[in-house]
This record gives sequence, C-alpha cells and structure tokens, in this order.
Amino acid sequence: MIEIAVDEKACVSCSLCAEICPTDVFVWDEDEGVPKINRPGECFGCLSCSEICPPHCITHEGVELAESHYHDPYALRLASRLAADVSGRFNVPSDEASQNQAAADLGVRLRSVAEVFKRTLGGSLPAVGTMAGRTLARHLPRYREPKGLDEALVLAKQQFSPAWEFETTRNGDDLTINVDRCFVRETCEREGQEIGSEMCVLFYNYLAGYLGRMGKVRLRLMDADRGAKCCYSVKIYEK
Amino acid sequence: MKARVSTDWLSGCSGCHVAMVDLHEKLLGLVEEVDFVRVPVLMDEKDYPKADVGVVEGAVRSDHDRVALEKMRASVDKLIAFGSCAVYGGPSGLGWLHERDDVMAAVYDGGPTNAGGERPDADAPILEDSVVPIDEVVEVDAYLPGCPPHPYFIAAGLRAVLGVSDLQLTAMSVCADCDRKMLKNEGAELHRGEVTAEKDSLCFLSQGVVCLGSVSLNRCQAPCPHSGVACFGCAGPSVDLITEPHLDLRNLIGRRLNMLTGVSEEEVTRYFQEDAKTLYAYAVASPVIHGKPTVEIREWAGPKPAAQGGE
Repeated sequence: MIEIAVDEKACVSCSLCAEICPTDVFVWDEDEGVPKINRPGECFGCLSCSEICPPHCITHEGVELAESHYHDPYALRLASRLAADVSGRFNVPSDEASQNQAAADLGVRLRSVAEVFKRTLGGSLPAVGTMAGRTLARHLPRYREPKGLDEALVLAKQQFSPAWEFETTRNGDDLTINVDRCFVRETCEREGQEIGSEMCVLFYNYLAGYLGRMGKVRLRLMDADRGAKCCYSVKIYEK
Repeated sequence: MKARVSTDWLSGCSGCHVAMVDLHEKLLGLVEEVDFVRVPVLMDEKDYPKADVGVVEGAVRSDHDRVALEKMRASVDKLIAFGSCAVYGGPSGLGWLHERDDVMAAVYDGGPTNAGGERPDADAPILEDSVVPIDEVVEVDAYLPGCPPHPYFIAAGLRAVLGVSDLQLTAMSVCADCDRKMLKNEGAELHRGEVTAEKDSLCFLSQGVVCLGSVSLNRCQAPCPHSGVACFGCAGPSVDLITEPHLDLRNLIGRRLNMLTGVSEEEVTRYFQEDAKTLYAYAVASPVIHGKPTVEIREWAGPKPAAQGGE
C-alpha cells in the first residue's frame, strides 16, 4: 500500500490537496487547518496532491513511478545534488531492454503517421517535413542560440543523440551528412519497411528544415545515397 | 585533522561570503571543525592551496572567472556551487539575455553614471560572450543556492559535504517556513507589479499578489513574506520544477492562484511572460529554464526591437 506522509508543521492550510485528490483520500481538519489521511487505501499514486502542495510537504512511499524516457540529464543531476532524497522522484530506466521497447513503441507511431501523411499529401511530403522541422526549431528547448549553420550543426548533434548520430563535412555551399546511427533506419528494419520510404523522406526534410531555421540558411536536399550507411548531399543557400 | 576549506568569488556581489560571516558564533564552531585556507574577503591568499572543499560564489562572466574556477576545481576534492549566481547565474545571469557588445555599450558608452566613451584597458578581465553557471565549466558536487543562502543552510550544507552531520537539506519550498495562511479568497483580482498585500497573516497568492514562494527552493527561512514582501524566488526554482519538464513557474503559480481566487490561469501566464525579466530573474541563465517551453524567454525578457534606439 502507498504510504502518505504530511509534514503538518510546513502545511499552509490551503486545502488544495483535499480539493485536487481524485479519490478523496484526505479529509480536511477545520480545527487544525491540515489535511488528515482518511482513506489511505484509495490512493493510487497519481501524485496530484504532491504537485499542487505549495510547501511540498506531502510525500509518498511505495508509488511505482512510470519510466521516464524523456528527461533532461542535466536537470536530474542538478536536482539530486541540490537536496537530499530527490532520486525517489523520478524513474529513469537505465537498462537497454526497456529503452529498446520504448523505441519500438515510438517506431510504430512514427510509421503510422508517415503512412497517413503519404496517403493524404502524396507529393507534398517533403514540404511537410521541412515545415515541421522549422516549427520544431522555434520550440525545441535549448540553452544557446546558434550563431550560424556550423554552430547549429554542433548543437543538433547533441540534441538528436543517441537517436541520430551523424558527421557533417562542409565545403563552401555543399554540405555532406554521413549518418552513423539512425532511429528511422532502425524502425524501417524492425517494421520491414524499405529504406528511403516515407519515414526517411519526412525525417530528412524535417532535419533540413530544422537545421536551416537554426542556422539561418535555406537547405535543400540534393541527393541521397542510401545503403548500409546513408549519406545526404545538401546545398546551402544563404538567406 | 580539520577539514580544509577554500573559497573564491567570481561574478557575484560578495553577499554570499558576507552571509558566511553571518554565521556569527556558529562560525566559531565551524572554525573548530574546519580550517579556512583561502577566503578572499578575509585573507590575502592569491594561490589555490590544496583543500578538501571548495566553495565558489558567482557566475562565470569573464576569462578571469573561468581560469580562477578551473584552478579552484583542480585544488579541491569537493566543490560547492555557493549562492544563486554560481548555481543558476543569479542576478549576474541577467546578462545572458543580451549580447556582450550591447552590455558593454550600455555600461560604458551612454550610461548615466559615466563620462562616456572610455572602455577598460587590456589589463582588465575580458567579458566572455555570455554568462554561465559554474557547472557549465567544471563538475560540481553540491549546490547551495540562495541570494544569499541563510546561515542555517550554509552550516547544514557544509557539514553535509564534510560528512560531519546527517542533517539533510530538504526539497521543500519557501512556503514551508512561511507563517501566512493560504486560504481561499474567491474574487480577489490579480495585482500586477505589486509585491505587498493588505493583510499580514494571509498568503500573498490568496490576496492576488504573485509570490514565488511555492515555486522556490527554501534556502532562506522565508524572511521576505514575514516582512510583508512577496517572495521573488532568489534561491531559484523548486525541485519539482527542475525534475519535471512540463512544470514551470507560470503554470504552477497560475494553477494555485486560480484555485485560490478564481483568477484565470491564462491571465497569470500572460503576466509572467510580460514581466519575465523580473519573475524569472534568478535562473534566467540556467539550462534548467531552457529545457522546457520557457525556451522563448529571450523573446519575452530580452531587448525589445521597438525599444532599441529610443533609449
């Protein structure tokens, strides 16, 4: 059973925990101005009360946290060196099997989205990818604004790793992208799809749109050499 | 044998060092436990003698800061980022919103308090492109934010790092030490730009005044709300904001204000974006703030194109 503890000394009597709890675990004690745990067996560990609690004085023991595949390693390291007992707040899977399973689940969604786009948009697929990449460039969390394409490439390598690992070489207006590891390729192989299908078209135009907006240039995919390792030739147009 | 402690002061205001002196008689107790081998405000030690613990105040803004920090790291076993500037950039970090040349121009070319024109010569430390917290440069073993941290937490933090005490620094927010009651007050309106409220015993949020207590880590024992001023978050974001990508100052304050008073969350969110430079002041230079949708903070709080040239 989940054990809930309330630090009554820190409580500010807001009663938001009792209001937000979906299963009415708490009953409000008007005299003392604190919540009392009335139906502990009803708690299913949604942690809504902990999240809304202004002084952060409600803690739970025995909650099985969902695996967090999206997380910021910098933030978790900072938090665990900021206060004691912070590691119990998140569950970052470290085993490869769990990560592979999550990647496979994501791959199924990626494939179905790509198929729907292909059927409904047909020849506009590259443009959709580019536009999605440009939109991402505006919203993807980042610490530094790149000053040009070269900095944008360095940043993108960090941001897309380990799902995509690639090397770039630039020669004037020509950019070559050599892809070492590709999440889309792995998904194609797992799903029995041909390399170069709609998923690849969508993603590599997406990457070009993203890099172009971040690096303040326009990028055009000129040629793709798909094989054991994919290699893309890109033309750079200064804006 | 006493543990050796070495301190340094980068781009900060010295307030954190002064807070250490504020330990008063506790400092004497601490001196019995530790040996201070380098403290810029107390002794003239230019080198970085070997020490067990290094305590660094201030953010990295200049080439001097970077070199000093690297020397400090190399001379100590454990390093504490001391104060909000070292941990998050703090007030020094506000420079992160501006280009270096704009900062130099604002200070040396047209500022109201200088004769104008003359820039520091080559002997002065050179400003780097931006301001960063110290963990962008070196590995940090413990973080003790606050502007400055309260002596209680300084003693607790130092003892914890030295392994002489089990006293733990908790993840609770400023509200945990605040005596005001957070009661429902349906119908209260949002008071933009205000930091004081009518009633002394009622929580600021209940009175429609934005107080950052519930979204700020308690490393201060809540002196501001006890003195009638709303918390402005000087110890940086609370732990839940750091670990959860979807949580942010504006949406958590928005939800709490909405539940207490009925003010709409959108109104609060808009206020936070319009006044971002004040409300996010202490952690604006930290990657923590940039790992979430607050990525647009430079647009909210940075220089506005329309205002350029006119000022």
